Amino acid sequence: MPVNKLKTLYFSVLLAFVSLLLPWSQVALLVRPDFMLLVLIFWLIRAPNLCNVGTAWMLGLLVDLTAGMVFGQYALAYTVTAFFAVTYQRRLVLFTGMQQLLYVFSLLLISQVMLLIIKTFAGAQFIGWLYFLPSLSGVLLWLLAMGLGLNTGGRGRAK
Amino acid sequence: MARHLYNKIEQQQAPAFFVRGPSPFARLAFFSVLSLALMASDSRLQYLASMRQSLQTLLHPLQLLANAPSQLYLSTTEYFSTHDTLLSENQQLKKRDLMQSIALQKLNLLAVENAHMRVLLAAQAALKESSVAAEIMHVGRDPFTRKVLINRGQNHKILPGMAVVDAAGVIGQVTRVYPLSSEVTLITDTSLAMPVQIERNGLRAIAFGHGRDSTVDLPYLPANVDIKRGDRLVTSGIDGVYPAGLAVATVRQIVSAADTPFARIVCEPAGGVENHRQVLVVSRPQLGSINTPSLTQPVKLGLTQATPADKKQSMPNKLAKPSDAHAR
Repeated sequence: MPVNKLKTLYFSVLLAFVSLLLPWSQVALLVRPDFMLLVLIFWLIRAPNLCNVGTAWMLGLLVDLTAGMVFGQYALAYTVTAFFAVTYQRRLVLFTGMQQLLYVFSLLLISQVMLLIIKTFAGAQFIGWLYFLPSLSGVLLWLLAMGLGLNTGGRGRAK
Repeated sequence: MARHLYNKIEQQQAPAFFVRGPSPFARLAFFSVLSLALMASDSRLQYLASMRQSLQTLLHPLQLLANAPSQLYLSTTEYFSTHDTLLSENQQLKKRDLMQSIALQKLNLLAVENAHMRVLLAAQAALKESSVAAEIMHVGRDPFTRKVLINRGQNHKILPGMAVVDAAGVIGQVTRVYPLSSEVTLITDTSLAMPVQIERNGLRAIAFGHGRDSTVDLPYLPANVDIKRGDRLVTSGIDGVYPAGLAVATVRQIVSAADTPFARIVCEPAGGVENHRQVLVVSRPQLGSINTPSLTQPVKLGLTQATPADKKQSMPNKLAKPSDAHAR
């Protein structure tokens, strides 16, 4: 079973990566959820033996590459997010669906805030509150996935 | 055999439940430090540029795959575009072609005349540039910067620093070159500065991207500067990067506040910074022959005088006129 799961993990990461590479523009780019981070959080919650903080770092580096940014920015943001995800992973079993959504939302926000801090240090300007839209759309996507029957762990779901 | 070995190792390990490796905090510390080191080395030392290039080349097929659906959609809609639209477009293009060819005839005449004048003034021959057509693959994914990726790169002789223009004006500058694609920083990005000239009175200034909305700023100009709404900004060519005379922006708003000696001038980019697909990458202006069929003897004489070493001197000469005209 683990081998099968590993394949699924690789496939989902590849899928998330290709969705990041789609030619998003204008409004779509503003709303686009961070697919890579969502997939990462899912696997950090569901299979902490397969991926950990190091995986997050590697994927962050990959996203850095595609975004054409300085190496290490997304990597750092993902690392910090993964740390929080892993720390509270075992408590997640007790979370209900709503609590889990809130938890995922805060994780997405953490990554965005980290990126904002790094970018501000590098001399960028804050681009307005719409910057946080991807977190919102990310949670909606998570909700959609739950609604479609994806087992995301948590009370009353994991069986 | 391998399975035996695996079993042997597996037996010696602790049960999987307890195996968690280093604590999350240790991992966090390690990878944070690694990221910081990467950031520092990438932004300051430029060691990772070649690595980025090769990785980007590896990703290129994946990028093409991701672009395939939208390309397919575009080509399908193009295929099914109606007869009427094609006809009207064709007519419009013909009309434009006629008008432009008339303008071009005048231009030929002017070019020859200009060459003669330059010889009379003993000035250097005008700089000439070559260009490569490219298509925008996708918009940059970093929300803090304004960049696009085009489908021409090192293999098509694109170099960093080349200007990128569309039919209406300058849209940006090539900042990073990969083997098969390159990254263009748009003129609306805060990090891009561009020497410009007011077309009406030849006043020179430097335009900066505003960054947040798609406008261009003209900072550091006094409050009483001679700029009006609707003035057109063109490239001055003073930097040797952009060919002179390309449209950059139109002045939209001038605010002079009492608490600052500088006027705040907001301009609107002339080129379709965010809505064109086809662009032209223009190389740095170089000394070369003007390809008009009716070149005559005096012009050739002027060209032989001008060697590449004189290239630098040619700029002050070229720009002496507007500043004289503007002296008060």
